[in-house]
Amino acid sequence: MSARKCARQGPYVSPPETVLARAAILAGLGSWVPPEIVTNDDLARTLDTSDEWIRRRTGIRQRHIADAGVATSDLAVEAGRRALKSAGVSGADTVVVATTTPDRPCPATAPDVATRLGMADAAAFDIAAVCSGFLYGLAVSAGFIAAGIADSVLLIGAETYSTILSPVDRTTRVLFGDGAGAVVLRAGAVGEPGAVGPFDLGSDGSGSDLIMIPAGGSRQRSAPGVPADQDRYFQMDGGAVFRHAVARMTASARAVMRRAGWAADDIDFFVPHQANVRIIDAVASRLRIPQARCVLNLDRVGNTAAASIPLALAEAAAADLRLGQRVLLTAFGGGLSWGSAALRWPDITPY
Amino acid sequence: MDTVYYKLVAMIANGFGVPEDQITPETTFEDLEFDSLALVELAVSVKEEFGVEIEEGTVTAQDTLARVAELIDITGVKA
Repeated sequence: MSARKCARQGPYVSPPETVLARAAILAGLGSWVPPEIVTNDDLARTLDTSDEWIRRRTGIRQRHIADAGVATSDLAVEAGRRALKSAGVSGADTVVVATTTPDRPCPATAPDVATRLGMADAAAFDIAAVCSGFLYGLAVSAGFIAAGIADSVLLIGAETYSTILSPVDRTTRVLFGDGAGAVVLRAGAVGEPGAVGPFDLGSDGSGSDLIMIPAGGSRQRSAPGVPADQDRYFQMDGGAVFRHAVARMTASARAVMRRAGWAADDIDFFVPHQANVRIIDAVASRLRIPQARCVLNLDRVGNTAAASIPLALAEAAAADLRLGQRVLLTAFGGGLSWGSAALRWPDITPY
Repeated sequence: MDTVYYKLVAMIANGFGVPEDQITPETTFEDLEFDSLALVELAVSVKEEFGVEIEEGTVTAQDTLARVAELIDITGVKA
């Protein structure tokens, strides 16, 4: 067999079997949202907004909010514990936490989460890709397993966005919720149900100001003066983000469909990042995926950023997903960043 | 201008579920109950269909379909 180059230019050519001997297999799935629920009507009491406006514009009815003193690691540990239980294992050799809201800017949240889950020596690190974090995390985990760096990965998407939202900014405060979703990935064969891939990942730094927390990092700290109060909070240019999200999610999903050899009709479930139902509708219609095959839970949990996709998967798995069904995941987020992946559903029970 | 206008009508009918007989050149986006997100989505569709970039804020709810068709023509000719 002749050697083949894996070049990004030109049509995708899958590497020889010997290179892709090990795939990452989805072996467990867990989720956790904090118990307190804040409805649109609750928000309308102190913000100039209404339940009708929020529902029409975003599809969101309520979101879960962590109690005072609860941080992202707390949600991550709970979801992680459940994913391990779902997989029937006591640990993994690598722990990855995808988050926009780490417990502290330094160090990463993952080592603490690993230790609290009884995996003190595991490789552990965070992924910072905002709402694309879980997809990037899946790709990284697949890479670790394929390269033999890890035999199993506990990947957790966890967020406490309530800690970075300005209480007076109605353009962001109504959109986001807190929560965590986790998966266990183990080494297995490329054709196995649950094998994650192919992938598509991308970024566009020219849009780096469209989704941001301006203050707190080296850009602001290296300049003299104290940041403006609003700069300490999450900011987003909704209209521009909507436009980019529709274009990039559509293109990224199409790239994975091509690589997987899947037509729109072949897809049993489309699990997009749960940011806004209007974005999901626009992307699904361009991909020709019927609404009935779109997994939606943002009405109940809001936009949970890096936790969004595993939370949606956990809900779909409990209800509809069956062994062998073709599932397409697509996300878009700050950076700007985006990612997509395909998998055929394994025989697992979420917890 | 005619081809552009009719393509625009088809785009709005198919993409936004508006019956074609409800659309005239003088119909405004307000008449169609388009909010600002729908206008952004329209801009995405216009870019996909015509290859023309409509800058945010250029089209408002008070604009008519005829106006947008004209805008696409003008912007297209420039490019």
